[in-house]
Amino acid sequence: MPLRANLLDELSRRQLQCGAWGALACSDQPVIESSCLAALVSEIGSKTRVGAEQFLLRAQNPNGSWPALLGDDQEGAWVTSLAVMALSDSVPATPSRLKGYEWLIGFSGKEANWFWKWKFRTTDRKVRFDPDQYGWPWFPGTVSWVVPTSFSILALKQAPCTCGLFEPIRLRLERGTKMLLDRACPSGGWNAGNGVVYGAPLAPHPDDTAVALLALAAQKDLPLVRQSLRYLEGTASRLRAPASLAWAVLALAAHQRPVNSLQSRLSAFAELRHIEDTGTLAALCLALECRGSLSMLGIHS
Amino acid sequence: MRNSRREFVVGVAGLGAGEIISGWSLFPKYQHDRRPKRSRVAILNLNAYSEKIGEMLDRGLTLFPLDVRNKAVVLKPNLVDYAPGQAINTHHLLVVAAAESFRRLGAKSVCVAEGPGHQRDTQLVLEESGYERWLREQRIRFLDLNRDHLRRIRLEANYSGMKYLWLPRTMLEAEFLVSMPKMKTHHWSGVTLSMKNMFGTVPGIRYGWPKNILHWRGIQESILDICATVPVHFVIADGIVAMEGNGPLQGSPRSLGKIVLADDPVAADATCVRLMGLEPRRIRYIYESAKFLGNSATRIIDQVGEPLVRPQTSFQLVPAWSHLRT
Repeated sequence: MPLRANLLDELSRRQLQCGAWGALACSDQPVIESSCLAALVSEIGSKTRVGAEQFLLRAQNPNGSWPALLGDDQEGAWVTSLAVMALSDSVPATPSRLKGYEWLIGFSGKEANWFWKWKFRTTDRKVRFDPDQYGWPWFPGTVSWVVPTSFSILALKQAPCTCGLFEPIRLRLERGTKMLLDRACPSGGWNAGNGVVYGAPLAPHPDDTAVALLALAAQKDLPLVRQSLRYLEGTASRLRAPASLAWAVLALAAHQRPVNSLQSRLSAFAELRHIEDTGTLAALCLALECRGSLSMLGIHS
Repeated sequence: MRNSRREFVVGVAGLGAGEIISGWSLFPKYQHDRRPKRSRVAILNLNAYSEKIGEMLDRGLTLFPLDVRNKAVVLKPNLVDYAPGQAINTHHLLVVAAAESFRRLGAKSVCVAEGPGHQRDTQLVLEESGYERWLREQRIRFLDLNRDHLRRIRLEANYSGMKYLWLPRTMLEAEFLVSMPKMKTHHWSGVTLSMKNMFGTVPGIRYGWPKNILHWRGIQESILDICATVPVHFVIADGIVAMEGNGPLQGSPRSLGKIVLADDPVAADATCVRLMGLEPRRIRYIYESAKFLGNSATRIIDQVGEPLVRPQTSFQLVPAWSHLRT
């Protein structure tokens, strides 16, 4: 059986009865991030995909958001961006997706509030960033970070232009993109979102960089994007961790860089099927079929 | 007269309200006083990470009346990120040596568990830091606390105001939990030792990377609430090469040549802080935790192994924490 089919088979095997996936192979706790990633790579219309979509529809909060895990409070979490992408091919899910988009538009980092903006501008300057450029936090009540901002950008770019939210989406995309550019590491690339702390530059991480570069796929010509691509290309060839390498493959493919040799390296890792983290298995499936995966993430070359 | 009477009534009401408010703040913020009568701390001298580490640890553990027979032991190292040449993480040789020691002492199982706070790709941190190879060779199970099965738990102290946290099943079910911090200064919390190390138990999948809510709720306060809820049974602190300055990631390595063992995390952290040439009572979480979680005063800590000698030059700190120096 080809590797990708083998991994998809393993994902199907791990699907819980409720249609969701646990974060780890050994867990039966439905987690939205793993469920969304696994749903994205499952074949449209398959029993696995339909089960996952039905689970996601049941798990949506009344305010339009999704929780991080089933049974969590109903405030919502960053995974809302993944959920709307995972439901993008389901026509019956359209009203739920629209509610999800509306929630995402109103969900922002704490620095969007004038008081915290003022604090970060005047008294709390240990981390270097421009509080005017805010994106999305992981959870309500915290500041913006790179990964949730990147996935929110990818999700909002897929919002149908007939949804009546065109202008607020445009504004959030513009500000979120500026936030990503502002939070980059001085040497290029991104980590969680702190480029400089106490005057000292922090190092980038390959997976955070990859996800940010996916969100910035339309900004190919910016010097910072080119510098970050160079960092990622240099790092990817040495990566021994499947998740980071998988996201790096996707990001490089989104920027039209050659990825065949990286995909071969990915395939050569031992015992991929036994990886405990379900999100990593799904990321591998995305990376082994780049063209279709980028399309699912709303990136069209 | 009417005005005076009204003013009097308002004044009395105000005083009453003030009393109630100050009374509330005087109530303890913890539910149980878990302090042992006396705590025990051992300082071991070892100048480099070498094969001697296992032998040294075995000898050190005999200084404690430990009974881990048939218990599930969870080792919680500080595994944050990786940068070549930096003393960021608890050294893998110490973690492997601890696993072997507890196996020899009859533990039912030993696993290593951590939820890195900065890096989403836990496998990357394991690979780059050297843990992956050693854990595989020694057949030690690793559990990613960022993605473990979670339970919503009411916190057993209320310093941060969080009331509840989702916490990993592995930590809640651990029969013998060993916190294995790297001795470091920290730009947000002054120091990071066995109690701050417990931030790694807070799952990223629920709270993000970094676990930003803990910063917003107060780092010192969150340390107290988490450690009140997830009891640490033993501490093995890696101070062979510690970190000073702009920790926890960008500080400078500092050769201290010490391993600190303790049966009380408060006593462990107070001792580590003294070894760093800093004053434990000036660190809020140590000061507060000495009221209900453990002992920080030297008169109620049985010091075994090597003597506690403060360094001639205390650890470097970022300016915000310079008041910790003695």
